[in-house]
Amino acid sequence: MTAYIVRRLLQMIPTMLGVVLLLFVLFNWVGGDPAYILAGKISSEAQIANIRHQLGVDRPAYVQIGIFLKQIVTADFGASWSTNEPVSDILKTRLGPSLTVLVPLLVLGTLLAIALSLVVARFRRTLTDRMVMVACTVGMSISILVYIIVFQYVFAFRLGWFPVQGWGDSLWTNLATYAALPILIGLCVGLAPDLRLFRSFMLDEIEQDYVRTARAKGLSETRILWVHVLRNASIPIVTYVMAALPGLLVGAFLIERFFSIPGIGREVLLAVERSDFPVIKAITVYVAVATMFANLAADLIYKAVDPRVELK
Amino acid sequence: MRLVRLTGSAVWYPVLWAILWGALSCFSNAALSQPAKTEPRKTIRLAFPAAETGFDPPRVSDYYSNTVNEAIFERLLTYDYLARPARLAPMTAETLPEVTDGGKTYTFKIRSGIQFHPEPAFGGKPRELTAADYVYSFKRILDPKVRSPWAFMIEGKIIGLDALAATEKQTGKYDYDTDVEGLRALDRYTLQIRLLEPDYNFNYIAAHTPFSAVAREVVEKYGNDTMAHPVGTGPYVLKQWTRGARIVLEKNPEYRGMAWDFAVSEDVDAELVRIMQGKRLPLIDRVEISIIEEEQSSWLAFKRNELDFSGVGSFRSEVFDEKGEMRPAWREQGVKAIRAIDPELTYTFFNFRDPTVGGFEKEKLALRRAIIMAYNREEEIEVIRKGQAVLATMPIPVGVVGHDPRYKPLNTYNPALANKLLDSFGFKRGKNGFRTMPDGSPLLLKYATGTTSLDRQFNELWKKAMDVIGVRIEFQPGKFSDNLKAAKACQLQMWGSAWIADYPDGDNFVQLLYGPNTGQSNNGCYESKAFDALYEASRKLPDSPERNHLFLEMTRQMEVDGAWVLGVSRERNTLIRPWVLGYKKHPVMNATWIYLDIDPAKAP
Repeated sequence: MTAYIVRRLLQMIPTMLGVVLLLFVLFNWVGGDPAYILAGKISSEAQIANIRHQLGVDRPAYVQIGIFLKQIVTADFGASWSTNEPVSDILKTRLGPSLTVLVPLLVLGTLLAIALSLVVARFRRTLTDRMVMVACTVGMSISILVYIIVFQYVFAFRLGWFPVQGWGDSLWTNLATYAALPILIGLCVGLAPDLRLFRSFMLDEIEQDYVRTARAKGLSETRILWVHVLRNASIPIVTYVMAALPGLLVGAFLIERFFSIPGIGREVLLAVERSDFPVIKAITVYVAVATMFANLAADLIYKAVDPRVELK
Repeated sequence: MRLVRLTGSAVWYPVLWAILWGALSCFSNAALSQPAKTEPRKTIRLAFPAAETGFDPPRVSDYYSNTVNEAIFERLLTYDYLARPARLAPMTAETLPEVTDGGKTYTFKIRSGIQFHPEPAFGGKPRELTAADYVYSFKRILDPKVRSPWAFMIEGKIIGLDALAATEKQTGKYDYDTDVEGLRALDRYTLQIRLLEPDYNFNYIAAHTPFSAVAREVVEKYGNDTMAHPVGTGPYVLKQWTRGARIVLEKNPEYRGMAWDFAVSEDVDAELVRIMQGKRLPLIDRVEISIIEEEQSSWLAFKRNELDFSGVGSFRSEVFDEKGEMRPAWREQGVKAIRAIDPELTYTFFNFRDPTVGGFEKEKLALRRAIIMAYNREEEIEVIRKGQAVLATMPIPVGVVGHDPRYKPLNTYNPALANKLLDSFGFKRGKNGFRTMPDGSPLLLKYATGTTSLDRQFNELWKKAMDVIGVRIEFQPGKFSDNLKAAKACQLQMWGSAWIADYPDGDNFVQLLYGPNTGQSNNGCYESKAFDALYEASRKLPDSPERNHLFLEMTRQMEVDGAWVLGVSRERNTLIRPWVLGYKKHPVMNATWIYLDIDPAKAP
C-alpha cells in the first residue's frame, strides 16, 4: 500500500509539469495582455512596457516558467496583478463562502440521490420508475439560470422566505440564511442527473447473481438494497463523488453572482476578465493537485469498500 | 413494508428539510432585521454592479473604487454640488488657485487644521494635511512602481517631474525627496505647480480623485498593500470591507464638517435648497455598499427595500409608462426618479491607416460617410438602450463645456443618400448585391467586437445597416485587452468605444482625435492636419466663446473626414426611496452621500 501511494505521488510530478506548461502556453496565447487592462484609459508604449516589466511578463519564457515552478513548490503565488491582494489571502477568504454552499450541497445531494436511487431501483420498470425518470429528464432540460431566476423571484422576493442576496460574517448566519436558497437550487438542479446515474449503478448490481442468491436465502429487499447492492454500487458512486470534489475549489460562479456570495467562483471569473494570471495560476494548480489527490483517495477507498480490488 | 416507509420518508425528506430551513431562515431574517442597538441611525444602502479593486487613489481606474475613494480622500478642488454645468469649488484649498504666468503657474493655499484620520502609522499623534502631502501624492502618480493608470494626466506637464521618473529607469530608485522644480511646497500650506506649457484645464486635474492627498507614512508602512488601508481626510472612513461583496463606510469623526450651502442652479434645486440649506454635514452616519453583479438581484433587493438607490436598466417599462411617466404603483410608494445624461459618449472609430476604410482620398471619405449615414442610432436607442440614451451630435457630449445644443450635425441617418454617395464614387454593386471598391477589389468591413450578448445585438444592428447599402461586414470577436492592444497599434479597422469624462471639459473628448495621441487615446489613428491645428489652438485658450468656436470647427472637420460614427450619450435613471433627502445627480462626482440626509419619519 505504501509503495503504491509513493508511486502515485511521484506520478503527480510529470502531470503537474504538464499542467504548468499547458497553462503557461494557454495564458500567453489566448489570455490577453494584462498590461493593456492595467494601463487604464490612455497609455503610451512606455507605460505599457513599464507595466509589463513590473509584472515580469517581459522576461524570457523559461524564466517565467521557472518562477511559476518555484511558486508551486513554495505555495506562494505572489499578489494579484489588479488588486495587489496576496493570492493566498484571496483563496483563504473566498474559499469559505464557496464551501459553505457547496459542501452541504454535495453531502445532501449525494445522500438524497443515493436514497432515492435505491427507492427507484426497488420499483424498476414500474410506472413510478418511469414517472421519476421522465421528471428527471424534464428537470435536467431546464437551465440552471431558469432555476435561479424563478427561485429567487418566488422564494426570496415574493414569499420572502430567504433574502434576495447577501452574505454575512458568521458561518451560522450564512448557512441558515444566505446559503439556504442557493443550496436548495443546487439540490434541485443536481438531483435529477445524480438520481439517473445512481439508479443505473443500482440496476447494474440488482441484476447480479449475488442478489438472486441473497433473495433465495430469504433476506429482505431492504437489507439486500441497503447493505449488499449499495456496497457494491458504491465504487462508481465514490468515483463520481471524488471527481466532483475538486469542483469545490472552483465554486459555483452563477449562483455566487446572483446571490452576491463572495466565493471563489466569482473570483475566477474576475481573474479571467482582468487577465490576472497569479490568481488563475494558483486556482488552476490547486484544482490540479486536488484532482490528483481525489483520484488517489478514490482508489484507496475502492480497496476499503471492496477488498477484492488490488492496487498495483 | 419497511421499504415502503423508507420510500415515504425519503421522498418527504427534502420537502421537510426545505420547510425547516425556510422557517429557520425566516426566523433568522426576522432576527437580522431587528436594528441592532449600536447601529447608526442614518444609513444609506446602495449597490455597485461590479467589484471594486481597492482604495489607493492613484492605483485604481475603475469607477466604483474611485467612487469610494472620493468619499475617503480629498482633492485640492471639488465641484459645486448643484451648479450646472459643473463648476469647480475649493475642497482642501482655501479658494480656487491663483493662476499666473499665462496659465503655467498654479498656486494653491491649503486650509490649516485639516486632519488625517487617526492611523497607527502616525504614531498616535494628530496628523495635519499640508502642501507637502500633495507634492508627495502628485509625485506618486508618475512612480513607475505605482503603475498609475492616471499618469497620462500629468505626464509631460509639470516641470521636472518626468525627469524624476526617467531617473528611476536608470537608478531603479524613485526618490521622493528629490526637489522637483515644478512641484513645490512653498511653505506648510502653499503648493505651487509650474507647468511646461499653459494648461487651463489643470484645475480639473486638481479636482480629480486620483490626485487626492495621501500620507507618505501610511504608504510606506503598508507598501504594496495600500489598497486595503485607505487613510484620508475626507468625510468617511472605511469601516468594513469584504472584497467584491460589501463595503461599509462610516462618518469620519475627525472630519472638519461643512454646511450645506449651495445656490439654486436649476428649477429642481429650489426644493433641495429649502430642505437642506444650512444643515451641518455629513448627516449620513453609515454607507453600506453591496456588490450585486446581477441586475435582477439588485432590482429585487431594491423592491424589497433592501436598497435605497437603484438604477432602472432593463426594468424601465416596469417603472415608466410609454410616455415616460412613472407608474402609479411607484408614485404611491413615494419613490423618486432622477434622470440625467451621463457626460459620456459612445462612438465607432475608423482606422485611418487601414487600406480599406482609411485615408483622406475622396472615395474613402465617401465610404466612411456613407457608413455613418447608414447606421441607425435611433434604432440602437430604442432596441438596445431601451430608450435610455440620447443621440450624440458632437464629439463633446451634453453637459460638458464646449457642447453646443444648436450644432447641426452633417452626417445624419440617411441610407438613401448613403447609397447615392457610394454609387457616385464607383462602389458598384455585384450580382450578390454587395458592393466592391472603385478599383473592383472586394469591399469587406472588419468590425472588432466582444463576445457578450450585448455585442451580438450591436453586430446585428450593424449587419442590418450595412446590408441596406450593400456593404459586406464581418465581425471579429476578441478580448477587450487584445482589441485595445490592436487598436493602439492601428491594426483594428473599426471598433466601438465609449469615453466618460474625467473632467467636464470638451478638451477631455476632442483629444481622442488629436493626431499625436495616436497609440495612446486616438485609437482611430486619425491624423488630420486641419483638426490638429484647431486642437492646438484650443489648448492655448481658457474656457471662452473663442475656444468653443474652435470646438465647433473641430467637430465639423471630423465630420467632413468621417472620423467617427458618433453614438449616443447614455441616460442614467436613478430611483431613490422617499426618505433620502437632498439628492441630485452630479455629472462628475459620484460619492455625493455627504450632501444627503435621511428623513427618519419616512425611513422603514
